[in-house]
Amino acid sequence: MFFKLAISIKNINVKGLFIVWERLGGEGKMSCHTEKKTKVSEKSQLKVLLMGNPNVGKSVIFSKLTGMNVIASNYTGTTVSYTKGEITIRDSKGTLIDVPGIYSLKTTSPAEEVAVNMLENENADAIICVIDATNLERNLYLALQLKKKNIPLVFAINLNDVAIKQGIQIDIDALEKELSAPVVSTVAIRNKGLRQLLDKVLEVTGINTSNSYEDESSDDELWKRAGDIARNVQSIRQSEPTFLEKMGDATLKPFPGIPIGFLVIALLLGVVVGGGKGIRGGLLLPLLNNYYVPFVEGIVSRFVSEGLLYNVLVGEYGVLIKGIEWPFALVLPYVFLFYVSLSFLEDSGYLPRLGVLVDGILKKVGLNGGNVIPIIMGYGCAVPAILGTRAATSKKERIIVASVVSLSVPCVAQTGAFISLLGEQSVITLIAVYLISFFGMLSGGLIINKIIPGKTDPILLEIPNLLMPDIKSLIKKITIRTKHFMVEAEIPMVLAIAFAALVVETGALDWAARFIEPFVGGWLGLPKEATLGLILGILRRELAVLPLLDLDLSTIQLLVASVVSLFYLPCLSVVAVLIKEFGLKIALTISIFTLVTAFLAGGMINQLANIISLFL
Amino acid sequence: MNTVLSNIKKSTDCIIEKLPAIGLLNSLGLRKGTMISSMTIQPFGGPVVIRIGRRSVALSRDIAEKIEVRQVG
Ligand SMILES: Nc1nc2c(ncn2[C@@H]2O[C@H](COP(=O)(O)OP(=O)(O)OP(=O)(O)O)[C@@H](O)[C@H]2O)c(=O)[nH]1
Ligand SMILES: [Mg+2]
Repeated sequence: MFFKLAISIKNINVKGLFIVWERLGGEGKMSCHTEKKTKVSEKSQLKVLLMGNPNVGKSVIFSKLTGMNVIASNYTGTTVSYTKGEITIRDSKGTLIDVPGIYSLKTTSPAEEVAVNMLENENADAIICVIDATNLERNLYLALQLKKKNIPLVFAINLNDVAIKQGIQIDIDALEKELSAPVVSTVAIRNKGLRQLLDKVLEVTGINTSNSYEDESSDDELWKRAGDIARNVQSIRQSEPTFLEKMGDATLKPFPGIPIGFLVIALLLGVVVGGGKGIRGGLLLPLLNNYYVPFVEGIVSRFVSEGLLYNVLVGEYGVLIKGIEWPFALVLPYVFLFYVSLSFLEDSGYLPRLGVLVDGILKKVGLNGGNVIPIIMGYGCAVPAILGTRAATSKKERIIVASVVSLSVPCVAQTGAFISLLGEQSVITLIAVYLISFFGMLSGGLIINKIIPGKTDPILLEIPNLLMPDIKSLIKKITIRTKHFMVEAEIPMVLAIAFAALVVETGALDWAARFIEPFVGGWLGLPKEATLGLILGILRRELAVLPLLDLDLSTIQLLVASVVSLFYLPCLSVVAVLIKEFGLKIALTISIFTLVTAFLAGGMINQLANIISLFL
Repeated sequence: MNTVLSNIKKSTDCIIEKLPAIGLLNSLGLRKGTMISSMTIQPFGGPVVIRIGRRSVALSRDIAEKIEVRQVG
């Protein structure tokens, strides 16, 4: 909840900035310097902007220096909006701003726009330009562009540990002379050089840079200069490529890349599905059933006599039982293990490689390989997935990804619910649901690609170094995400379960079911209790599935109910994000599209099964 | 010998002679005169992966078809 609030506030700010920018026009830019000085003396707070190419460690530096935790992953476009945090330099307080990475000042995506707008409008007192030591020339090209802005600069030569392993050495003193600005060698994940970075920031902000540097060089000249500097300050020891470099190349080639891809996905499934089942069945359910349930029932029965209240608390949909069992015993193991696997894959730099391998297929449905990353994130939660599309360069691409994720990518909580529902009774149905989900994704993409005018941009994607994920960063990331799930899921779940208990216990369900009986019973062939899932499913995706547990459904009913809840409305948070990103009209269209698909697909399976059964 | 990038055999070095005006190509360092080598070509109409400096970049085949290169070595 807090997370979402923060983002929406940020967005308003971005829009606000646009307006300010438009109002000021050209004049605003010219008065930059005078404005800046008054601001600084007024508040005497330093404002420092973190900028640089994508995927160079800006967000790690931000997290280490501010103590806030922003997500960092090993691919282009992790950060898609800005975050401000407080820093202390010596004795004074200041603000540090993390922005999306950019390849040049000419933007190509909504995320990059955020960065350039911050540069133009925030009147930063200094910029920390983060440079990837393993890719000096291209990073220097941006550095030289930034230098033209006449804002005091400090350079962080980051990922130095990786550079050294690859045999790259950078002469920091020489680079300092070439750039005539302080240069610090850093290893962000080990917190190396970061304090020094801030000290240098304090040094440069004292110096008056305005008009000290008139640079009229053309783009070609900047590239040439970047190349010259790189040659002068860098020495590369020609050596046998490291194991990770070899793996990095191998995973990109159709062979052995494609078999490795299958292996990775199989491993992922094994860890999440197998491991989750193990934790759930071997640890959590026994704990729950042998200790927690008798304990709670004992206490409740002491104070409450049998009746409505008793049932609401510990009955069929007892808040105290299901409110713990559903989120923690049934869903949490999968959430946790999924985030373990996802975070590992993200930090390794493997995901863009997978994107390259499947680009040919995704192209046919109006997507490109780069979109694999938000889609895979969607298997965790659709909210960050949809936000992540801001790194994409065309609006059409963003809408297609958002639609297919909303339509047919089950979030991890729903996956947990599916496994609980189908895992024991019918593994084949479970597999069928995921095949249908995959099929739905491709055909959904195909249809939307046809409907929406315009083109999606073809793939043009930088492949990051394959890295060994840092354990500490990994643990932090997994903790943040798992905690986030628990906070996000628990309250709506308890409320929903309380609602379910009341509806069932008071007989309201029977009353409501009379009206929708022809639909739920006739068309879908499901019992009236399934209505409950459809109501609660609006709140959260897994709640469309969990009420189906203990209903003793037949295999066909299980399949129908699962397919309906798979395609069913994306949850409330997702609808909110859709509205925020694309506006009410598109959000509504996507929601209706999912709803219609759900009932159409579910009903068709039921009717088909009915017809077939006539002949058997 | 001049040809287009999508026709280059695996792991041959070449120099870019002509390329479409796509801003991102330039910012990724793909410019006239840049030395690159082709790493792989993905099946099913997938992208061409090239190596520029020490980094790999995936380029859709439509773009690669518009990049004229001269093979060297
Ligand atoms: N080995 C090593 N890894 C690092 C270092 N700094 C960052 N990383 C890793 O590099 C990856 C990219 O870091 P981020 O902080 O997400 O990069 P960013 O510049 O914010 O990227 P965008 O938001 O996409 O622009 C992450 O997987 C980090 O864990 C470093 O000094 N050494
Ligand atoms: Mg970042």
